[in-house]
Amino acid sequence: MTAQTEIRTTPAWFSNAMARCRNLEFVVGITLTLLLVGLVLLAPVFFPDGGESINLMARLAAPFAEPGHPLGTDALGRDILARIATGGKVSFVVGVYSSLGAVVLGTILGLYAGYYRGVLDTIVMRFADIQLAFPFILFAMTVIAIYGPSLERIIIVMIVTQWVQYARIVRGSVLALRERTFILAAKSYGQSSAKIIFSHILPNAMGPLIILLTLNIANNILLESSLTFLGLGVDPQTPSWGGMLAEGRNYVQTAWWITLFPGLAIMLTVLGLNLLGDWLRDQLGKSVQ
Amino acid sequence: MKLITSTLSCSRQGFVKTVKTGLLATVLAFSGVQAYALSELNVAQGSDPQNLDPIDTFRLSWGSIGSNIFEGLIQRGEDLQLVPGLATAWEFLDDNSRIRFTLREGVSFHNGEPFNAAAVKYTFDRLLGEQGQKGPQRSNYTSIGSVEVIDDYTVEFHMNQVDPVLITKLAGYGAMIVPPKYIEEVGEEAFDRKPVGTGPYQVVSYEPSVELKLARFEGYWNGTAKTELVNIRFISEPATRMAELMSGGVDISLNVPNTSVETLKKNKSVDLVTVGGPTVNMMRFKANSGITADARVREAMNIAIDRDAILNALLGGLGESIATAQGELSFGNDASIKKYPYDPARAKALLKEAGVAPGTDITLDIYNSDETFREISQVVSSYLGMVGLNLKIRANETNIMASDLIPNGKTGELFQFGWGGWTFDFDNTAYLLYHSGERFNPYINDAKLDELLEQQRATYDRDVREQALQQVAGYIREQSLELPLFNLATMYGVSKKVSGFVPAPDDRVRYMNVVVAE
Amino acid sequence: MQQLTFLSQRLLQAVFVTLAVTLFVAFAIRFTGDPAVMMTQESSNVTEADLAMIRESLGLNAPFHVQYLQFMGQLLTGELGNSFFRGPIKELIGSALPSTLLLAATSMVLSILISIPLGIVAAVKQGKWVDQLIRILSLTGLSFPNFWLAMMLVLIFSITFNVLPVSGFSGVASLVLPSATVAIVLTAVNVRLVRTAMLDVLSEQYIMVARAKGVKEFWVIYKHALRNSAIALITFFGLQFGNLIGGIVVVERVFNWPGMGSLALDAIAQRDYPLLQASVCILAMLIVIVNLVTDMAYSLIDPRIRVKS
Repeated sequence: MTAQTEIRTTPAWFSNAMARCRNLEFVVGITLTLLLVGLVLLAPVFFPDGGESINLMARLAAPFAEPGHPLGTDALGRDILARIATGGKVSFVVGVYSSLGAVVLGTILGLYAGYYRGVLDTIVMRFADIQLAFPFILFAMTVIAIYGPSLERIIIVMIVTQWVQYARIVRGSVLALRERTFILAAKSYGQSSAKIIFSHILPNAMGPLIILLTLNIANNILLESSLTFLGLGVDPQTPSWGGMLAEGRNYVQTAWWITLFPGLAIMLTVLGLNLLGDWLRDQLGKSVQ
Repeated sequence: MKLITSTLSCSRQGFVKTVKTGLLATVLAFSGVQAYALSELNVAQGSDPQNLDPIDTFRLSWGSIGSNIFEGLIQRGEDLQLVPGLATAWEFLDDNSRIRFTLREGVSFHNGEPFNAAAVKYTFDRLLGEQGQKGPQRSNYTSIGSVEVIDDYTVEFHMNQVDPVLITKLAGYGAMIVPPKYIEEVGEEAFDRKPVGTGPYQVVSYEPSVELKLARFEGYWNGTAKTELVNIRFISEPATRMAELMSGGVDISLNVPNTSVETLKKNKSVDLVTVGGPTVNMMRFKANSGITADARVREAMNIAIDRDAILNALLGGLGESIATAQGELSFGNDASIKKYPYDPARAKALLKEAGVAPGTDITLDIYNSDETFREISQVVSSYLGMVGLNLKIRANETNIMASDLIPNGKTGELFQFGWGGWTFDFDNTAYLLYHSGERFNPYINDAKLDELLEQQRATYDRDVREQALQQVAGYIREQSLELPLFNLATMYGVSKKVSGFVPAPDDRVRYMNVVVAE
Repeated sequence: MQQLTFLSQRLLQAVFVTLAVTLFVAFAIRFTGDPAVMMTQESSNVTEADLAMIRESLGLNAPFHVQYLQFMGQLLTGELGNSFFRGPIKELIGSALPSTLLLAATSMVLSILISIPLGIVAAVKQGKWVDQLIRILSLTGLSFPNFWLAMMLVLIFSITFNVLPVSGFSGVASLVLPSATVAIVLTAVNVRLVRTAMLDVLSEQYIMVARAKGVKEFWVIYKHALRNSAIALITFFGLQFGNLIGGIVVVERVFNWPGMGSLALDAIAQRDYPLLQASVCILAMLIVIVNLVTDMAYSLIDPRIRVKS
């Protein structure tokens, strides 16, 4: 069988296998995501103390070493499982809000800049250049040094620095598409710009955007932990996965579980999001053109 | 011991320099010069003073370096006793308005320049003059009016005012004797990077934030250092510092974080060496407003916290809980002042009496760089929660805390304060914290405290001073004006290969007698 | 001629970007904090008068525009002036910049060398087990914070097996762990981008035409597909550079790598204005240059993107 048939003329057995594989991707992705989102949403029910109960007698207990602490305890004797469940909220909030903010802002500006070019394009692109030339961490540190750390500021800093990548991708695909035959054809039929943008150009830019969005949510969950690591994170009392990793780093050699389990939580979330993203991409890919 | 070629090998300039040193090694080998082994000690410390000139810096990180390069007229060893240094004797004259120092003969600087009265005068003229104004050291020595050269080896200090801590201060930091000719020759900027003193080690090379290389000074007047080369590396990330220590990358690590105590204790190749230090950890109150203006509330918070439980659980028991803002080694400490008991029931009663409703929100400001205190403060929050106070913790950048929140009185009801007066004299802490109008005292304005503090500054009489300082401490305890926590031990991580290391309580480590076994 | 105008236009933009970034930093960092306080942090007897004296000697009492213009003047003459705390900035940057560049270049090259073949294989074998494996590996690489990864690598290779140095910069061996840390995360991203870009191109009409004409699969991929997806890849790699530098800042800190990131972070913490301005300016110029080169390559490969004449 040649590669050509593999891609274009799909035999029934192959497409079935592919469908099953894609379904598996979807099933695992959605399961992981729902599981973790569910854990986080139900945290107040299962762990009413929010993982904040300190017990100095039971500190640094290994998994299952103390009753009621299946994943062990941290340096202050707090239950790791409860903190993971509660702490996921910060990670999700930071990851989702910042990425959504960035994708909306970036897409709008990228579309307009790419489609209309002109002054707006220049302004957006110069603004984009500035932000691209300014490493996120330095920008975040400067801003947070001035205003002090908080959840909202972290999200805003992320949006302000991250819309650029969306704008560039969207603008790039607009530029690549606007000279293509089907766009030119649509134009010649007298379709309105808005219609062309939303029914032809945007769907074509969707694939990369969604991949980037899923990566971005995951990435921002990681960035939040980097900020905490540099001492710029959310306040010390609010549990967060990133914060747990940062706090546990001095105990890596003696109490691996403090960093392992939040690390796993992050990994599984990221994995779930990416599987979903890939699956979505395939779904959207079919409807393009 | 390592071969000299390996100590030279490739540095940060990358390939070019590597190639050069490679060539050098080859040349050495072929020219018949014996590549001989040099004894070497590798040290890690958390921060870089960034400027080695004694008058340009006021950091403990300078102290742990400077004490190997420089000497003062007076010396203070690891036992904190003041002994003759570059001065062999001193006497107070004319009702304490003059101090006469007899200088040690036969001492020379690393560059060969002789140490004499002219060097002493130059040192203090520089410190108190224009050059000193640019740095943080001058303000500690303004009690000195001028220095007069009597003869080559005798000088007199003319005092502006009484300064009871002066002799101690002459053993440290800004009073280190510097070489006049060398500074005139190379200029101030070069001196910052490659200073010259009279100490047992001389600077070979200094790369800011990276590494300082010291070599034994063969002409040292007071014996010879046992190890030829000392490399001091600056590693700001505590976990990295500890990893270097445990992997054998460094032989001694300063600034061991409390969070690593357990790891070090379990490690077979490293010892945890501790000594009582000057650092006190405490929280201070916004004592002039809000619920913390009420002495009962302050006392309640003080007795709501089980200090010893925190000390033993989080800090490995390496330190003492304290009743006032000083440790046992401090001049002015009064052992009869009782520590705060742990009495949550009474704390609740006091809060009720003061009319504080359960669930009242209060805020604690802490430094975001201090991981140990981050843990401590969360436990404190839990203790306060048990008596009905809802403590919110705000982590702030060091600079914001020190330049804005504290001096301008913008802190929450509580704020973190750590202080390590290297002089071990309570004046150093008390005046700063309790005298009205001081920069780090935004909230306390008390005539009685002002009077006591001024009184002890005006005399050299140790008994009078001690009594006044003890009264200050007693008054603070009585009014619960602060929330003292611990006097933590100074900790060093030391490889088992190292011998002759004496832990310095004041971070002013001396490497002269340290030997690293092969 | 057209290329020349394009180039000069972009150069102008580069200057503008650098100016804007330094202006922002110089302005913002002066909002809070005080270098004089940092300098006297551990001193007990410091009074407001002493602080004022220090500020005067640091030149902080001059109005902002005077300070900024002075900085720009120094920048133009190539003399970067003095740091508040640690001597000539030129020397500091002269030793930090090569370290950062070395780390960035090693990681980037390492990552591209790994991700292009892996991405191509994954795209060609789309849906098969190789593809799945590569995807899972890249997802795993993406899932850990870089500082955590760094500490794990140190725990394994430096402490447990003691084969590589923990930190600092003392030869090739000390380059291994930091560049591996940066490269692992980078590769995870790049593999996915290569795969996506290749898949997009492989489904294009002209690839099918080439195949129909009987061109060998190897040439289809390397001559047609790779060249055509290069445009997307170059943009992606170029875009990565800013992130790369950002990631390096954190990694530098864990490995105590004496680079630009450490320099800039220290400068922020200490309010060392001249040093911060200079190091951010240099970093910005670096990124701008890389982006410029990216754009040039972009327009060389795909003439459609060239500026309208």
